[in-house]
Amino acid sequence: MPVEVRPDTFSMVFFDAAEVRAIVEKLVAEVGLPADLSVTIEIDETTPMGRARVTSFDPVVIKAESGALEDVKAPRKLSADGTTDVIGKLLLSVRDRRDPNFGDPPAEDDLTLQESVAWEVYCVGRLGRLGHQVQRQRRLYQFRNRHGFTDAADAAFDKLWTADQLTWADISAISQTALAALPV
Amino acid sequence: MRKAFPVEDLARDGRFVRVPLAERFDDPRTARVEQGAGKNKRGPGRLTPDRPDAPDAARALMHGIFVGEIQALEGAGRTCWDFEVGSGNGEGIAEVPFELKLDMARQCWDEARHCEISIKLSAHMGTELGEFSENTFLYEAACNPDPVLRLTGVNRALEGLAIDVFNTMREFGDIAGDPVLEFCEDWMLADEVTHVKMGSDWLRKLTANDKPRQERALEFQRVVDKLFSLGGFRGEEEDSPVRLARRFRELAGFEEAEMDTLAEIAKEAREEMEARVEANRAAVAS
Repeated sequence: MPVEVRPDTFSMVFFDAAEVRAIVEKLVAEVGLPADLSVTIEIDETTPMGRARVTSFDPVVIKAESGALEDVKAPRKLSADGTTDVIGKLLLSVRDRRDPNFGDPPAEDDLTLQESVAWEVYCVGRLGRLGHQVQRQRRLYQFRNRHGFTDAADAAFDKLWTADQLTWADISAISQTALAALPV
Repeated sequence: MRKAFPVEDLARDGRFVRVPLAERFDDPRTARVEQGAGKNKRGPGRLTPDRPDAPDAARALMHGIFVGEIQALEGAGRTCWDFEVGSGNGEGIAEVPFELKLDMARQCWDEARHCEISIKLSAHMGTELGEFSENTFLYEAACNPDPVLRLTGVNRALEGLAIDVFNTMREFGDIAGDPVLEFCEDWMLADEVTHVKMGSDWLRKLTANDKPRQERALEFQRVVDKLFSLGGFRGEEEDSPVRLARRFRELAGFEEAEMDTLAEIAKEAREEMEARVEANRAAVAS
């Protein structure tokens, strides 16, 4: 399975490319992506910031700032759980985009914060059911920040978190339902 | 019971991990990335809900507040115990008036309540206790052997930072529509204004006839203020995550000129941090 991690050695952080590669290879198999799909993880070790995004879907290219994969209790060291959380949710979104039944979501840069977070909740919920450690309350807080601190937002979150077979139209509608309940 | 309790012996359970400041200072990475032809720098930016990473940034800051509250409780508690009761007017610097101890006891009560509030807020935001690392420089500033310097460093510099942070978080809760966060931060902010004012009042009272001691205390405050500007994390630059809360600082006894100086100190701290990152990078490259 062609998983590549760039760079292959690090000078500013204490990351091990082989460890990242092993985590990603396991995730690619778990989320159900094709075994022959090329996946590249490009890590920007020059910044401690935590952005990570998919920049190409076939071949898959994920660009991550080093803070996204870092252990928050050990500066400059890799967190295996954090890497699984960040890369896992992105690979699930890749699987969604490659699934013709999922629909046609906007390009990454055109997603609103609300849409982006709603999709993320759907991805992380599934990642948890694959047996990985996830933080439900953290994701609920993110969702509430984008959809309001309301009962309707919490109900929408539960739908996304527990679902396995949503389409983009479903995700978008659930997000809109929560937003419609925001006090004027 | 011993006096001047060392930072290494503070009680923490296995969830808490300490990261020394030096380890942060050695980091060659920079949060400010040069981009575009104009060489604009993209930094973390002001902490507002429209930042894509805002909820997680707020969680991390809230955890920092939580460990800060624990240390503030420990520091105020030590100040109740570490000094004998006396005039505290400079004749014997290890003495403090009984009323100062009462103020510190009241502060302990506030800080203990803030710890409880912070724990509940962390749960609300999805953060586990000890999820982020702790650094102990707040408590370390509370170990100064001169009570006037201790109060100036802790109550004016550190609790002053708390005013800036709580005001930022209160505004964050307001804009995000999070009534729990906004309400809790507003109440804690009110307490912090009182704590800073205690520091301002005791500094004036205890050094009224001892200008050199007052100057030493203010110099110590400047050192702590620079350290706690965290390389520009707190400041008045456009992309400083936490801004100076000038109105609340004024209520706490800060003069306008003092706040201008603090803004300058924060700017210097940012420039020094950028220079340090460049030096760290050069060291990594060589």
